[in-house]
Amino acid sequence: MISKLTKFKNYRLRTKLIVTYVLLTVIPMSLLGYIAYSQYANSIEEQVGEYIPKLLKQANENIANQIRELEDLPDLLYNSDEVVEILREDAHQSRSSLLQDEFTINSYLSRMFINGGSQDILGVFVISKNRVFQSTKIPYTNFGLIDYSQSYGQDIQLKNDDIFVLPHQTSLRFEGDPPFVLIMKQLSDLENRTDLGTVLIAVNVTFFEDVINDMSEEGKADLWMMNKEGRVIYHTNSEKIRTVDREFSNYPKINGSFRTTQEDENRLISLNYMDETGWTLAHSVLVKNLTEQTDLVRDATIFIFLVFVTISTIISILLAWNVSSPLNRLTTLMKRVEKGNFDVDLAIGTTDEVGMLADNFNSMVTEIKDLIRENYQIELKQKEAELYALQSQINPHFMYNTLETIAMSVEDDEKETVIEMVTLLGRMLRFSIGNKETVVPIADELLHVKDYLTIQKIRFEEKFDFTIREEINPERYYTPKFVLQPIVENAVKHGLAYGRVTTIEIEVTLIRNSGGTEEISFKVKDNGAGINEDTLAGIQKMLASDPMSKRDAHFGLSNVHARIAMNFGESFGLNISSGINKGTEVEIRIPILTNGTEGGHHEL
Amino acid sequence: MKLFFSLVCTLFFASACVMPSADNGNYDVIYSIDSVMQEEADAGKEKKVTIAVVPKVASIPYFDAVEDGALEAAEDLGVNVLFKGPAFADAKQQIMIIKELIEQDVDAIAISANDPQELAPVLLEAKEKGINVITWDSDTVPESREFFINMVDPETLGRHLMDTLAWNTDEDGEFAILTGALSAANLNEWLYWIKVHQKEYYPNMTLVEVAANDDDPQRAYELAQKLLQTYPDLKGIIGNSSVGPPAAAQAVKELGKEGEVAVVGLSTPNPMNEYLKEGAAEIITLWSPKKLGYLTVALANNALNGIEPFDWQEINKVGKIRMDDDTVIMGDPMDFTKENVDQYDF
Repeated sequence: MISKLTKFKNYRLRTKLIVTYVLLTVIPMSLLGYIAYSQYANSIEEQVGEYIPKLLKQANENIANQIRELEDLPDLLYNSDEVVEILREDAHQSRSSLLQDEFTINSYLSRMFINGGSQDILGVFVISKNRVFQSTKIPYTNFGLIDYSQSYGQDIQLKNDDIFVLPHQTSLRFEGDPPFVLIMKQLSDLENRTDLGTVLIAVNVTFFEDVINDMSEEGKADLWMMNKEGRVIYHTNSEKIRTVDREFSNYPKINGSFRTTQEDENRLISLNYMDETGWTLAHSVLVKNLTEQTDLVRDATIFIFLVFVTISTIISILLAWNVSSPLNRLTTLMKRVEKGNFDVDLAIGTTDEVGMLADNFNSMVTEIKDLIRENYQIELKQKEAELYALQSQINPHFMYNTLETIAMSVEDDEKETVIEMVTLLGRMLRFSIGNKETVVPIADELLHVKDYLTIQKIRFEEKFDFTIREEINPERYYTPKFVLQPIVENAVKHGLAYGRVTTIEIEVTLIRNSGGTEEISFKVKDNGAGINEDTLAGIQKMLASDPMSKRDAHFGLSNVHARIAMNFGESFGLNISSGINKGTEVEIRIPILTNGTEGGHHEL
Repeated sequence: MKLFFSLVCTLFFASACVMPSADNGNYDVIYSIDSVMQEEADAGKEKKVTIAVVPKVASIPYFDAVEDGALEAAEDLGVNVLFKGPAFADAKQQIMIIKELIEQDVDAIAISANDPQELAPVLLEAKEKGINVITWDSDTVPESREFFINMVDPETLGRHLMDTLAWNTDEDGEFAILTGALSAANLNEWLYWIKVHQKEYYPNMTLVEVAANDDDPQRAYELAQKLLQTYPDLKGIIGNSSVGPPAAAQAVKELGKEGEVAVVGLSTPNPMNEYLKEGAAEIITLWSPKKLGYLTVALANNALNGIEPFDWQEINKVGKIRMDDDTVIMGDPMDFTKENVDQYDF
């Protein structure tokens, strides 16, 4: 189970979502539908099971009333003194008086029972002292020839109640074979306390029909009346009359309803027992028929269930697809980014979590891309600066001039000067190539510039001078490498003017800017020809533009400015002020960098 | 597939919760009004009850016929019946019999009381012992019994007896009444209505004497003779209790006064058969004492089973009874004449 769970855990998100959705809809809906259906069916069954016995009870009471009336019928004989007198007489009379009696009683029976009594009476028989009087509505056969031939006459001793003789107990048949029962009642001489005889009244049991037909809705249900042995007295299916209900002995002995459980098609059987006759009225209906209405509900439920399951499955698949496909695209893109391709753009177009994720991913990739480009550019500038510095030192012009100066010094036998120049040149070269650091103490940078200026001063002798003034401890503060040299070279190149002494002043100061933080300011001032306004404006415009762009003119200036601006922000960098014949002042501003953590950009 | 299987399992589990548990053999009972069916209903009624029937006096034809009826009912209803009466129509002897019956612990006592007042205490004692006490034929005070089974409505009977005499004396002349014990409640009531009826409708007739014979046939015979001698103009005798008419008829016959002195009254047909045919008696009125005996036992048995009599109740082999307050009326009186007396055998 656990392994299955872990297995499920490892399924694709889409599969999980679909399975979850389907389970969440199919199971509750099928459960709900099933419970609703079965509860409905059960409640119908229970209602019917409760309702029918009550109907049966009512029907039984109606039947009992009818039977009570029928039971009273034999008592009509007591109403005629003449009849009672004849019945009291001994049978042994002359033939004529016997026939006379027979006529009297038969016509009385016709009057009272056949013509005047209940519609349901088929015939009346009175057996008294080996005489049989009778009157019937329709012709009959077989009365008393087989079953009761022995017991006709006074021999029948009915202890208590009237007895119902059921059709199967007699061979008596009426024309047209109507279903009937015989009500057999002992006639006693109430005054003398002797038996007068026995009355048998054949009653058509179709009066059951009136009661029963109301209940057996359109022939779907069976209704029958049976006696204590399960012998059917009346059945809605007339073929079953006189047969025995074989299941009867197994029925639960209740006034109520029960359901068969063993048959192919379950039936709901209701029974009601009638005390007076000992008969049971039974009603049987197929449960299937009862639940016809329910089946509609069930079919509708199933149909709705299927439709909903289909819809919800489709929706769940779409939803799962919607959620998972951007994620899948994201995954693919991430893999591409992982491999180094940053030129991706994930367009999800939504503002949900996935859209936000995609947006974030997009901006992250852009950021990374920018960062990479920036670092790359800075590195490139640095390398350019180094290369530039190197180039400017092994610049044939500079080298030629320097070497010529050295050569002249050798000619003049100024040994000291030669040694100094060679030393300076060597130190410069070492600074340029040897030091891999991009950030150096200001002292080192100043020394390098000083070396350069010293060489130039030796070369130009009295025509050139310089001063370096530092107001800070140059060993403590640091600066990016080669920021001063291009400026100073520019000043030397453009500032030397014939006829006067060119002076270059370098100032290193700690200043406080408008935001209140301290910065380091390098100022390189010359008293040269200056720069005309147009050129200055061009230069300043160039500096203000994108520091990343590559350019050829004013390479030194722009390289320094770009490097500082890229490293420390746009507020740092070069600031040039100049005027024709007023000289030029270049200010380089950098944040305070110490050997510690301050500034944090030492490893540029 | 596994998913489908688990789904099916779930549904099966759920359905198992919903379905009613299937057991009890082939049938699931859904609803039951009451679990009583014939077997249960037939159970019980095992104990055989004992009903004591006490007549006014033993060994006269009327009470013998009652005994026949009572015994017939005993057989039909499956009860024990003790039929025990005193040798003379005497309340004191009846009291002794009741005391014996109380000691025997019978279930019910049905008595035809000789004296309503004297018998009341002992009947109350029986009631206290849990014995059902009813009266028949002749009542006691109402407090000492549950109900009284009267054969006929006393007013109807009294007026009818007067009528039967009037029919045979042309509504004229002197007549006498032979009654049983003067203390017997039923006899006195009938007497009352005879007198009322005579005063209302037959002003020409005169009641000369009411003679009490205490239901003793010999005494009745002597009284009848005495009446015929005392009142030579006597036109009729009403026998108010069953020993009266045979005694009167015998006296009339012996004195050769057939047709001269009309004899009517209450008596059973068998003792009167010959007298009626000879003309020594004219009309005898009665009910079936057998039926009375049967009814008494049937109603006593019903009472023991908690069924009180009610108006128009159908009693098997008796017919419908009437109810007047706490008095059961069995039916209407029957007249026996020489034409129909052969039909009756009691």
